[in-house]
Amino acid sequence: MKEEPFLDELRAAFEHLDPVPEEVLAAGRSALSWHEPNADLAELTGEKDRELVGARSTSGIRLLTFHAPGHTVEVEVSGAGQDLALIGRLAPATVAEVRLRHPNASGQSTRADETGRFALTSVPEGLVSLVFDLPDASCVVTSWIRL
Amino acid sequence: MTLNDRPALSGRVGRGRVLPGVMTGEPQKEVIPRPRADEAGHATPGDVRLPPVSDAAEAESGELVVRARLGDRAAWGFLVGRHAPLLWAIARSCGLDDADCGDVVQTTWLRLVERIDAVRDPQAVPHWLAVTARREAVSLARRRGREAPADPLCFTDVPRPRSRRPAIGNGSSGVHELVSGPEDTALAREQIGRVGDAIRTLPRRCQDLLRMLALAHSYSELAAALDIPVGSIGSARTRCLAHLRRRLAT
Repeated sequence: MKEEPFLDELRAAFEHLDPVPEEVLAAGRSALSWHEPNADLAELTGEKDRELVGARSTSGIRLLTFHAPGHTVEVEVSGAGQDLALIGRLAPATVAEVRLRHPNASGQSTRADETGRFALTSVPEGLVSLVFDLPDASCVVTSWIRL
Repeated sequence: MTLNDRPALSGRVGRGRVLPGVMTGEPQKEVIPRPRADEAGHATPGDVRLPPVSDAAEAESGELVVRARLGDRAAWGFLVGRHAPLLWAIARSCGLDDADCGDVVQTTWLRLVERIDAVRDPQAVPHWLAVTARREAVSLARRRGREAPADPLCFTDVPRPRSRRPAIGNGSSGVHELVSGPEDTALAREQIGRVGDAIRTLPRRCQDLLRMLALAHSYSELAAALDIPVGSIGSARTRCLAHLRRRLAT
């Protein structure tokens, strides 16, 4: 990959034409702070909009399903802009502390009740992830999604 | 195929470093308290598995991943500095604006962090990063309604319309320029130099290929960034470099 003498010049030219903004690099460096080494990752396994495909209107509801070993998280996202509502359910049903992670907003938390249901409101759009601290001290974290 | 480290890139990493705590997007949560591997490396020189962090700039990306997994922020920082330019270029090749490109790059890092403990082959991470960034960029471009067949900036299998290729010797048209606008001053042009000028007269597809060629550390990473088979890189590369040389010769 390095045999081409043009490449150094090319790299410099592109860096000048379209540099990676420093804030993007800084955000990337800080991303490691979101590491949850003791959490089970719940991957996004299903996503559908209640609106027609391609017509994700502001009134639409997104249904997201995440799976971790032994746990399922379902989340309905409604609303728009800086005022989204997340209504969800953790299965199997259990109480849990629910934390919302949001790189561009302060975190907020709530509690899942005995049926595993929880609700978060006034969530701004952007990248979010949910962390569930369970009574047995285990932890489940959803994959990041863009709201 | 090797994952080469380039001194030029490691030199860029340190520039504009931001102190912890004042970084943009610094998570507002408690950081798990544990020794940083770089500190541990200095404190226990006998530990051969974690040499001092000064080596990080030379370390292979796979090793940086392993160190970052253990909490070595400096190693993570080098990894970010080394691979962010390609991830940014991938997002840009999908026609995204600055905010969306930044979003794609950050999502890619967060996806690596969320599964960094499960990475079985750290050497494969650079390739994985390129694949992930592309997937995120295509998805976001689709959401933004930028998947019009007439404008396949994301290297789909659709052949590029001939009308978008400028004739040889034709000057740059706005469509193919990587950047344009009032900020494109004479001074900037001079700094960019003849290569930058030549680049901007190339078809967008060649611009993207050359940019990623200059940034990728391996052919597998390059193939993932462009979403084309490794086997077809050679001819595309030859064609675009020839294109560039012709422009430089005129």
